[in-house]
Amino acid sequence: MTITESAPTTRRLNTSKAMVEAIAQEMEANPEVVYLGEDVGAYGGIFSSTTGLLDQFGPDRVIDTPISETGFIGLAVGAATEGMRPIAELMFVDFMGVCLDQIYNHMAKISFESGGNVKVPMVLTTAVGGGYSDGAQHSQCLWGLFAHLPGMKVVVPSSPADAKGLMTAAIRDDSPVVYMFHKGVMGLPWMAKNPRTVDVVPEGDYVVPIGKARVAREGSDVTVVTISLSVHHALDVADKLAADGIDVEVLDLRSLVPMDREAILASVAKTGRLVVVDEDYQSFGMTGEVIASVAETDPGLFRTAPQRVAVPDVPIPYAHALEYAVLPRHDRIEAAIRRALG
Amino acid sequence: MTDVVFPVMSQDNPEATGVLATWYVVDGDAVAEGQLLADVQMDKVDAEVAAPAAGMIRLTVAEGSEVVQGTVVATLE
Repeated sequence: MTITESAPTTRRLNTSKAMVEAIAQEMEANPEVVYLGEDVGAYGGIFSSTTGLLDQFGPDRVIDTPISETGFIGLAVGAATEGMRPIAELMFVDFMGVCLDQIYNHMAKISFESGGNVKVPMVLTTAVGGGYSDGAQHSQCLWGLFAHLPGMKVVVPSSPADAKGLMTAAIRDDSPVVYMFHKGVMGLPWMAKNPRTVDVVPEGDYVVPIGKARVAREGSDVTVVTISLSVHHALDVADKLAADGIDVEVLDLRSLVPMDREAILASVAKTGRLVVVDEDYQSFGMTGEVIASVAETDPGLFRTAPQRVAVPDVPIPYAHALEYAVLPRHDRIEAAIRRALG
Repeated sequence: MTDVVFPVMSQDNPEATGVLATWYVVDGDAVAEGQLLADVQMDKVDAEVAAPAAGMIRLTVAEGSEVVQGTVVATLE
């Protein structure tokens, strides 16, 4: 499918509109693509993940479901095994506990258990992340948990263009893909503003292959490997440190499964110093996995000890000051970079 | 030259004010007719502002500003 439009190259969108554009284009092209979840119809998704889709495609394809995640995610799994390409939205990833059996015993395993004969080409979208005082049950990232369980690709866009390109790739993928959008990167007027959440987005057909990291900023002194909203924070810190003559490379993983270990190794081979920044919990998660990718392949690359900046192993506080204290924000990222430089 | 105005979102109060929440263009951009220019907000309701014509845009209101509905927020040259 190729859509050509004679539109200006400066066309900008925020991340939510870019994500919706990809969904709308795929729904336009393929009648098997449907979207279902809580408040995804008239409301347009509580984080604007589906704004306008109901008007465009009607209630048979943009389906408001009852508050029964087991029911509608199971429905999506069944539809996918029968050849549809459903997108099911789990309103907050924090709610995965009520439907995890459908996700990791069915969505993730059916292809393996059938010897590859039954595909499950569905996308599970979900809102993640904190920073806006929504408490311990509405602020988690939990991507490390999904990445730990085999059978699902795990995609986490940080920019408007990636949100579009990775969504297109996710819908077309024959494997189940978990697409995790951070509320803080959506560019919503009522959330904390970040200038990088509005940017140029290619028009027409646009695919970003799943599993390829992106060098968000080239640098030579230290590598920061990160994902999602933390990419924005790391870029802010890199801009600040450039004034001190510190040249930071920022690598946006874009997906945890598959993880682009080659890109991590290539960057650390260049800089010799590694900082991993993750808004998920520290222990047994992405930070350790990234460091292990280097340590078990070529530990001699490390000129200094690798550093990690993640959420300490505590529930995320509601109180604003306490929440900011546990999140991997600018001050902690800067301190870790300075430690890595020795 | 074509004016881009803050849309009328309140019929009851002609003096109602809203916020220019997000500019999707920067001053001097060449825009196409119908292209998304901005998100605006009034009383927790969002609306999009699209270009009424093609041209080079000149912004007259900064992002985050609160203005009376109907105010010219940009011009297209």
